[in-house]
Formats: sequence, C-alpha cells, structure tokens
Amino acid sequence: MAALSDRRRINAPSGGTSAPVFSKALKEPGYLEELRPQRIRAPKELRKIFLQTSIIPSASGSAYLEIPNAPSSHPATLIPPTSSLKIAASVQGPKPLPRSAPFSPTLLLSTTVKFAPFATRHRRGYIRDAAERDLGVHLETALRGVIIGERWPKSGVEIVVTVLEGDEGAWWGQEGGSNGSGWGLLNVLAGCITAAGSAIIDAGIDCVDMVSGGVAAFVQDPSADGRLLVLDPSPAEHRDIIAACAVGYLHSRDEVTEVWLRGDAGLEAADSLIEGAAQAAEGSFSVMKEVFIENLEKNGNAQGLEGAGGKRKHADVEMAG
Amino acid sequence: MPITIRAPNLPTPHDALARAASPSDSEMSDDDLPSGTSGTSIVTPGETITSDPQWMRGHGTYIPPSTTTIVSTVAGHLHKTNKLLSVQALRARYTPEIGDLVVGRIVSVGTKKWSVDIAAPMLASLPLSAINLPGGILRRRTAVDELNIRTFFSEGDLLVAEVQSLHQDNTASLHTRSLKYGKLRNGMFTSLSGAGGGVLSRRGGVVRSKRQTFTLNTAAGEIDVVLGVNGYIFISAHATSPSNAAATAEDKDISITRLDEAVSETLYSSQNDEITPGVLREITRVSTLIKGLAAAGRRVDEDVIVRVYEGAVELEAEEKSLGITDKGVGAVGVVQAVLERLELGG
Amino acid sequence: MAPSQPAHVNLSPAELSFLRSSLSQTPPIRLDNTKGPRDFRSMIAEYDVLPSTNGSARIALEDGTEALVGVKAEVEKSQWRPNVEGRHTLSVAVGVDVDMADDDGQEGEENKGKGQNGWIEISVEIPGFREDDALPVFLASMLTESLLASGELKDRLYINQRFHWKLGIDVLLLSPPLSYPLALLSMTTHLALLTAHLPALKSEKDEDPLFDDDWDAAVPLYPKHDAQGGTNVDKPPIIVLAIAVGSNIIFDPCKEELAVADAVLAVGCAPSNASSTGARIVSIRTIDPPAHLTPPAVPNSMNSATGGVAPASTADALTQRELLSATGVWTPPRGGMKRSLISQVTSMVVGKGGVAEEVIAALQAIEVG
Repeated sequence: MAALSDRRRINAPSGGTSAPVFSKALKEPGYLEELRPQRIRAPKELRKIFLQTSIIPSASGSAYLEIPNAPSSHPATLIPPTSSLKIAASVQGPKPLPRSAPFSPTLLLSTTVKFAPFATRHRRGYIRDAAERDLGVHLETALRGVIIGERWPKSGVEIVVTVLEGDEGAWWGQEGGSNGSGWGLLNVLAGCITAAGSAIIDAGIDCVDMVSGGVAAFVQDPSADGRLLVLDPSPAEHRDIIAACAVGYLHSRDEVTEVWLRGDAGLEAADSLIEGAAQAAEGSFSVMKEVFIENLEKNGNAQGLEGAGGKRKHADVEMAG
Repeated sequence: MPITIRAPNLPTPHDALARAASPSDSEMSDDDLPSGTSGTSIVTPGETITSDPQWMRGHGTYIPPSTTTIVSTVAGHLHKTNKLLSVQALRARYTPEIGDLVVGRIVSVGTKKWSVDIAAPMLASLPLSAINLPGGILRRRTAVDELNIRTFFSEGDLLVAEVQSLHQDNTASLHTRSLKYGKLRNGMFTSLSGAGGGVLSRRGGVVRSKRQTFTLNTAAGEIDVVLGVNGYIFISAHATSPSNAAATAEDKDISITRLDEAVSETLYSSQNDEITPGVLREITRVSTLIKGLAAAGRRVDEDVIVRVYEGAVELEAEEKSLGITDKGVGAVGVVQAVLERLELGG
Repeated sequence: MAPSQPAHVNLSPAELSFLRSSLSQTPPIRLDNTKGPRDFRSMIAEYDVLPSTNGSARIALEDGTEALVGVKAEVEKSQWRPNVEGRHTLSVAVGVDVDMADDDGQEGEENKGKGQNGWIEISVEIPGFREDDALPVFLASMLTESLLASGELKDRLYINQRFHWKLGIDVLLLSPPLSYPLALLSMTTHLALLTAHLPALKSEKDEDPLFDDDWDAAVPLYPKHDAQGGTNVDKPPIIVLAIAVGSNIIFDPCKEELAVADAVLAVGCAPSNASSTGARIVSIRTIDPPAHLTPPAVPNSMNSATGGVAPASTADALTQRELLSATGVWTPPRGGMKRSLISQVTSMVVGKGGVAEEVIAALQAIEVG
C-alpha cells in the first residue's frame, strides 16, 4: 500500500531510520530479551480501563477511553515498556443529509478512524492509510448491527474516532519493531468499538444493545503445552503471538456483530478465541455500564430531580443488567 | 461436489445456422442493391451499404455530408423495408417503443412522478396521473395522493407497465392504468442484460410477441411470468387474492368496478402472500431456466419457456428415478441438457 | 463507505421477503435452483496467462465476473538487521516451533523466522473504485493477512542477509463487482501463487545473488514436495464466503442472496499440515450484511393504499411495525451473529471433507490436469 502516500506534502523517505542498536544488545544475545516487560496479570485478567463520556461539548455524543501502560520494570533502558491506548470518539448527528443525497430510509452511518501522527512509534501521515481505512470498515460493521437505523430516516451520523496513542504491534526492542505483524491493531479496534459504542449511547441514538470490544490471543508459552489463551494481550509482553481475535460483542443478546480473527488458528482454537474475546468484551461492557449509571445518577442530582426519580432510574438499569 | 471449475475452451465457432436464420426480409429482391457486402447481410460501422440515392436511410445508418452514400454506424444485420435501409445491432440497449410491455424498477421518487429504470439509455417517467389510484378507477388525483406518493411506489419497487408515449429525447412515459399492470410482488426478478428486445428476434433475449404475460401450470400451482420487452422478467406466484376469487365464484359477470375494488386492496401492497415451498421451488426453477436460455443464446418467449420447463421437470423426475443426484450443473447445463432432449425427441 | 457499497441493495421489500423465505426453507432453495447450499457457482479457470509474471491466473464466473492475478517477484536489498542471527538462536533456545518443527527440511529451518511482512505487497484494483476506497483496502488487507498468517511464504522469500525477494501480487477485477468478490479474488490469487515460480539461485550464502537463467530450473514458490519428499506441504490460503439466513448456512452467495443475509462471514483457511483435519483457519472477518440498510416493508394493515390505516406519527408507525409479526413482510435483520453459528460455519469450512478442502483440491486439480 505504498501507493497510498501523501501526495500533497513533501515527505521524508518512507523507510525512516533504524532505532539505535546498543553494543550490549549485540554482544549478549539474551540481554535485549531480559528487558522485555513481563505479563504479570493473570491470563484472564484485563488491563485497567478508564472511560468517560460527554467529553466534547460540541458533539452530540463522545467518549474517551484509556488503557494505561504498565510501569517500567527496567528503568535503565531507553526502550519504553508496554504501549498504552488512548482513544477519543465523537458522534456528530444525526443530522439531515445534504439535499443532493438520494433518499435514504435509514440512518446513514459513516465511520472514520484516524491515528494521530504521534500515536505510534512510526509517525503517521495526515491522510488515512490502508490500516486506518480497514479499521474504519471494521468499526462500521461492528456498529451497523446495533443501531436501529430505520428510526432515523433521511439523516446521517458521523462517527469520528481519533487514536491518540495506539497499541504497538510488537515491543520496541524486538527486531522488526512496530511495523511488524500489526497485532496492536486488534487492540485498537476493540478500543474503538468500546469508545464509539459509548459515544453512540451518549448521543442518544437508538440501539438494540450495547456493543463493546474485546481481544483474546493465543501466545506461545514455554511453560504450558505450547499455546496459552490470554485475554486483552499487550503485544509488547509476548514475543510470539500465534493468533488473535477482536470482537464487537452484544452483551444482552449474546451475539457478535464483528469478528476479526487473524493468525494461525486451528478449528477449536478459533472457537475458543472468539469465546475469549467475548469474555474480554464482557469486561469492557461492565465498565461501560458503570460509567453510564454513574452519569445518570450525577445528572439526576444536577437537574434537581427528586431523589426517588434518580433512584428508580438506577434500579431500572440494574434490573436490565 | 460443491465446486465445479472448468478449463476455458475455445469459443465455439459461430454456427452458420444462426446467420442463415437471421431475419432479413427475403422477399425483397437483392439485385438492385449494389453493396460491398457480397451476399451477406451483416455490416460493420463505416461500411458502405449503398451509394444509390434511391434508398432511404433508417436506424443504424448515416449519410456523410455532401454524398449520397449510406454508411452503417453499428455492427449488425441489414434490413430492407421497401426502400428503407436500417441496420439492427447484434446487441443493444433496449429502445422503448409505444405499446411495449415493460418491467421496471423505481429509481427515484419526485413530487408528482417516479423515475423508472427500464434498461433503456434513459430513465422512464411514470407520472402520478398515469397510475390507478386505489379506491376506484375514476377517482381523481388529490393533493393528499401527492403527499403520499411513496405509499404507491417507493425506491426499489418493481412494476409492470406499458409505454404510453415517447418524448422528443426518446425518454418513455409509462402508465399502469389497467388491472394487468401495477406493482409486482410474490415473486422474483430476473434480468437478461444486454438482450433487450427489438422488432426482430436476435440471439438470446426476450422477443416482442403477442403474449408477454402468461401463466405456467406446474405441479405445485400456477406461476405467472411477465416477460418485459426490455429484458426484465418477473416470475411470481399466480395472484389469487381470496376476495377476488370469492367474487368470481359468486357471479361470473362481475362489474369492472367491483373487480377493481377487490384488486385495489392489494394493488400497492409490498407484503407477500403465503407461498408454499413447492411454488417457491418452481419459481426459482423457471427463473434459472430463463437465465440458462439467455446464456445459451436462445430466444426467450412463452413457447420456449413452457417447453423447456416441462422438459426440465421430466428430466429431473427421470434422474430421480435413476438415482442420479447430479446437483450443481448450473443453469446453462440444465438448459442444454433439456434442449438436447427436446431436439432428439422432436 | 463500507464494503457493502457494491452490494448496495436495490430490491423491493417484496422481493427481499420472497428471497428470504425461499432461502430459509429446508433445504434452502437457492437462486440457481440447480445448486445446493454448499455449492459454488461454476467457474472457468486457467493459469500462466501472463508471460511477464512469475505466476498468474484468471478465473471467470458464469455471470461474467472475472478476476486476473499476476505475481511478480523482484530482488531487493534488505535492511541490515543486527539481531537476526541472535533471534534465530533464541528461537531455537525457546524451542517451541508450532507447526513446522519436524517436517520442514534443512533449508526451511535455515530461513525460519527471517521473512518480513513487508516483503509481500498485495494491491487490489476494482473498476469503479479508487485504490483507497474502503472495499479494495478491505479486500487487500484480508488477502494479505491470510497470506501472512502461516509465515512460511515470507520465509521462502529470504535469499541471504543482504537480499530478499519482494513479492508483488496484483489482483485485478476485470468486471465491476456484481457480487461480493472476495472469494473469487482469493481463489484466483491462490491459483496464481500455486503456479508461481522463482528463478533458481546459483550463488551461495551472502554473495550477491546470481540466478539460473533457465526457466525450466525455476523453483516453485510453493514447493510440491518438502525435503523428505512428503506431499503435505504449505499451500496458499483461500477465503470462503458464507452467509447465514435463519438457521441455514449458504456458501458463495450471489448478489441477491447476499442482500437478504442475516450475517456474512469470510473465513480464510489454508490446508492443514497435519493430515487429520481438513484445513486450518488463518483469518475470520465479519462483513456487514447489506440487508442492514434496506427499508422495512410497510405491512398492508398500515398502508393507506391497501385499505389499512396509516399511523398518525412516525413513532406510532415504529411501535406498530415492531409489534407486528406477519409473514411476508420484510424486516431488516438487527444485531449480530450467535457464536454457535460462527463455529458451525467454521467447522463446515475447515472440518474434514469441508468446503475449504474441496475448493483447494479443485484448484490443485487444474494445475495437475
């Protein structure tokens, strides 16, 4: 996809330069590997998620999601530890379609996923590259099944997701670096689904269910019998990821709107990967739900509603969950 | 075997039969036509047909300025009608003519008219004033109808109509002011692209004929087939709305207005009736056969469809009795097998 | 917009309802009634059609959709990577190689893990689409990730420390996409890669590479036999498209069938190294079913033109419609896909005697026969 270059600006050579190689890394083959962060979470434990809605006042709905990075265990090295994920999603609309657009009986959805130029180790250009467009398509698939489009005829909604910091595909210290296998994109997609799903609910667009994202992966594990299923993998912590899967999961319907599985998975492995990813999505779902309940309670108080009203709302939500 | 992959074979030589049978008004004598096409009636663009000024130019021809030479502009068969020379292209878009029965699809809805795709170079228009409004044939069009225009036809809906008039720029204006015409449902749509009919038959495609709509009797029930002259075809379960059937049973000489009322209940419905699986199967079978006929380069008209359909049913029954479950031969395969049988038999 | 754009549905609600009811029969009645739910549309295939490529193939479907793939390999200078050797020793130290630990020859072992993803470049061109439109990008990334999943192909592109092959796979759809072209493109790519050859290397080790100019001596990109002479070797992946209508699963849908699908799944699979199972999954993606964008039908009871009473407000209309459950009224599907359905599809694709195995065998037969 080198053809998709930014033709409007004068750009640096696409290859860029290699990261510095320190002599110690060459002399002692095992040294670099020592610095690699270790996964200290349990295999089924997710990273902490921070989610906040209504962060952009001008948008009709918005959400911000952050998965912070683990503290560095080797402060002596220049190589940063695991990467973090920071995603802002905003919903513009529903708004009327332009006059020139043909009649549409349903809500037209358009999704844009854009990495900030500084989001990853390699600087991204200003125009969307293939990976970003691909993520946009995935996100649209995940959301399209949730929105009840026929309730908003002749209108369109734009969902703009900006990835401020993206999970890298691999650890910086690893040769091949971040342009490697792109496992991080799965984490980014899951984050985008959770953030955009929250933003849509924040915007008050009718949905059949809440959609949340989750990732699971099979990694090589010397201690177990070769492969180990981990939820919410941080690609920096694993030297070899065999297969990974991201899903957009509907909690109450127990359905998936989006599956993105890649890697060398067997038949049973594929099933358990999707299963695992759905479990991870369940985790993001509980965070989403907490956030919305919290917001509703806060708003209830702010608007000076009677305590009973606010409480009943809360009770309703709990019953639904 | 779920997948059949064939190696490409050389194109079959153009059968001489098709050319020999190509329609040219053979009663006209050829002797006074000085043409460069020695004996054949096929011409290519730029080819001089004649330089004799006694001939008049028709469709598909051109007279270069300050000459009397008639030059062909399309590749196709040359036709002579009295002193008129015209060239009929081998493959062309449908050009609407007044009185054609066409199947069309609504593309857009305007304030007082619909734009309809009828496979012609330009969209046809169907004015609100040219449809039967529900509640009696003589009802006047009101402002309410204009507001509710989408309840009659909306984007994507299929309809069968007649070409009422042609405008200066060859756009057609349609009407559905008859019980035969109107919205289509309870069935499926098939398009034979690039094979729109013309005055004369050509290889493959729908032919203008006396009967464009007919009912096919199958084991499962009756099936209506609408062959649009434009190459669009609609195959549906035979319409027997219960009210209508009851009415006809009561008294044969039913007044046209009452019949109309009975029909108008479902005239603009977009809800399908209950269709039995057997009928569903036969409808898809007919549609597959029609596609196969077009792909095999055969004419598509009532006679051929009925014969091929009966042949296909027979063939299937025979194969079943012999225990052959040869699935997946494809539409063309079935049609060819049936045609072979028919030619052998008769 | 989405990949659903080419398959933009322009069918009337009555047609959609008809198609849906015939596809949800048991067994489903397909549009081409000579085909069963697992049948692919018949196609014509040939390979080695482009003399200036390392491998090429063309597949045409009966409806006129046609794809052409050319594979070209060029020698390129590698970036100096100091850790390649170290990494190699490490991987041996860790000592868990999943699928090619035993049956790969000496040479394969040597190249293991040295390939880079950037050495394979796929571009998809579809008439009527810009190269950066969502559909070509989506198709290219799906093809790329299934191709890279096994990692064996890119390792074969390694020449020595300083040079490698750069594989350019150019996929061309020759006709506008009548139906979702993913399966067609992947089968054409499969055939082109299967028949691609690279010139035989004459130089040794880290010399500047020198190749045999005898084309007959060229080595296939996907070797027919491994070092031990076994036939169980790596083959390029294929992608199978499946739709779910009700509880029926239908493979290789045509455009109209796709339009009424509840869910669409693309499953990429490669033949399995172990002979016990038919194939292994290398990627799965859901595709947005175009039916999500279709308008629901107006039932007779709500249509003023059919003697019904039109609801007073849109809110009323929505409630009435959602409460209604008449047959024959088209309602677009909502929500996603059950997980059990996904696993049913995947097992139909890659299970023993599954669709993937048959498709790969059929494509293999073209080359042999």
